[in-house]
Amino acid sequence: MTLRDAAKKIFFLEILKGLALTFRTMINRPVTRRYPKVKREPFMGFRGRHAFVRDPGTGREKCVACLKCSIVCPSQCIRIEYKETEERRVLEKYEIEALRCVFCGYCAEVCPVCALVLTEVYEYADYTREQFLFDRERLLKNWDDFSSGLKTGAYFNKFWRLSGIDINRMPVGKRLQQSVQVKQKEFLSKESFDKGRAA
Amino acid sequence: MEQMDIEKDLQTKGLILNMGPQHPATHGVLRLMLHLDGETVVKCTPYVGYLHRGTEKLCENRTYISALPLMDRLDYISSMANDVGYCVAVERLFGIEPPDRAKYIRTMMCEMTRISSHILWLATHALDMGAMSVFLHSFREREWLLDLFEMITGARLTVSYPRIGGVRCDVNREFLESLYKFTEEFPKRIEEYETLIDQNRIWLQRTKGIGVISARDAINCGLTGPTLRGSGVSYDVRKHEPYDAYDQVDFEVPVGKNGDVYDRYRCRMEELRQSNRIIRQCIKKMPDGPILADNSPELDMPAEGHRKLIPEMSLSHACISLSDECESIAPAGEFYSAVEVPKGELGFYILSDGSGKPYRMRLRSPSFVHASALPRLCRGHMVADVIALIGTIDIVLGECDR
Repeated sequence: MTLRDAAKKIFFLEILKGLALTFRTMINRPVTRRYPKVKREPFMGFRGRHAFVRDPGTGREKCVACLKCSIVCPSQCIRIEYKETEERRVLEKYEIEALRCVFCGYCAEVCPVCALVLTEVYEYADYTREQFLFDRERLLKNWDDFSSGLKTGAYFNKFWRLSGIDINRMPVGKRLQQSVQVKQKEFLSKESFDKGRAA
Repeated sequence: MEQMDIEKDLQTKGLILNMGPQHPATHGVLRLMLHLDGETVVKCTPYVGYLHRGTEKLCENRTYISALPLMDRLDYISSMANDVGYCVAVERLFGIEPPDRAKYIRTMMCEMTRISSHILWLATHALDMGAMSVFLHSFREREWLLDLFEMITGARLTVSYPRIGGVRCDVNREFLESLYKFTEEFPKRIEEYETLIDQNRIWLQRTKGIGVISARDAINCGLTGPTLRGSGVSYDVRKHEPYDAYDQVDFEVPVGKNGDVYDRYRCRMEELRQSNRIIRQCIKKMPDGPILADNSPELDMPAEGHRKLIPEMSLSHACISLSDECESIAPAGEFYSAVEVPKGELGFYILSDGSGKPYRMRLRSPSFVHASALPRLCRGHMVADVIALIGTIDIVLGECDR
């Protein structure tokens, strides 16, 4: 054993070094967030709560009942019922069991008309299981909740048209997909406020 | 003489101790039945299956591409590596060659996963041994990596990012710059971890000479990954059967000497540095080009050979145009493919009958094999060392029980 090693042993040098690092960290800026008060902003394209995009034109969902989402869904949590009229399919029932969902985002990716989206909402705990059976109205409500909190007026989800994928592989509905125009709360309230003043 | 009399009167009896499945140090729901003599382990029997979800059976009812998100849930702290392993297996079965850019992206992502998995291993392993501060330090870096994953894939743990024949979406410049900043910063952070525990005498006493397994025994037990390399066997699937871009990057396979807990710890620490090196090379060499092979299956790939086109469909272009004469989707046959995940060698044995679903899928998960080596490792050690030994084999029960 050299003198150096002996000194290390006697004076607990390696432990002191570690402790020095620990104490140094105490005066650094904390890396943690105080979560319920300070919320983390998820990145664009985070796969959170499901929503139906509300079509600004019709005010309804855009779903054409092609059943692709229910076919690709790995956990098979999407249930669709539709009836056929002469020119098109009419959606009758659309249900997503959010408790079974694995949030892979395949449904949003495969949807040919970009009707479905996994929004960036990640806080939706609730007390009953029924709250997690998202039907048509609930999905549209999810969209309203989500879009009212958006900072920009136009929204485009990453999974509707994934970057780097050859556009020729996509159906036309996806190729032509534009950002969805979202009416914002502030905008709405200002408008109604102006209306009120005019009256 | 008096002492002898007292000992004769005392009745000593073996004790059976159930450790787990709800024990914080068993890294999940592992149950160990320990036969104790005093505080020495005479026999150790691991019981697995508390987290069984039937992944192999579930795969049989899903198309190759729909089964991919299930692979995230095998080893949920290194989900990207599992996905890549699965995709490599299915690509080899289908005969699809992913484009170069996809290969580099995957290699990069795999190594990011390796870092985040090894960091988590270090954190929990050190926590089990009583070194709390390493845990806090290493979670800081892990958070950085998870943020990077989220930026590209849209999820922090269950990424579902690779795709058969490529990757799901392209990486952007912002991501690569942030990742490069991470790789510049990370070697300093590894040194921080090492400052905390590497020469610490408590750490050395609890790790050196514990759970020694010779190279011969390790091979016979079927150990792979850093657990095997700690015993001095330089076996790494990335080197021996390169997949993706591993044959185009330069890295070393660190090996240990004694095959004890400390050597396996050293191996993993060196691997962190090597992974960092691989990521840097990947960023520098990243070629441009497509990220998905032309002949890769679509997301809604058919499960059966014939796919009926539905003429009434209002958006008929939405339907994929698989020609009617296409009989089989995947080549029929049996096939084994393995990749190196952070834990060891993850193998996929696919039995294909030509349809879009695997007829049978068997997973060779490293955690399961490593758990089976626990009785061999634990014998003759103290109860406190069992904690160190569970930590050192880096077991994740999600993968073990599948």
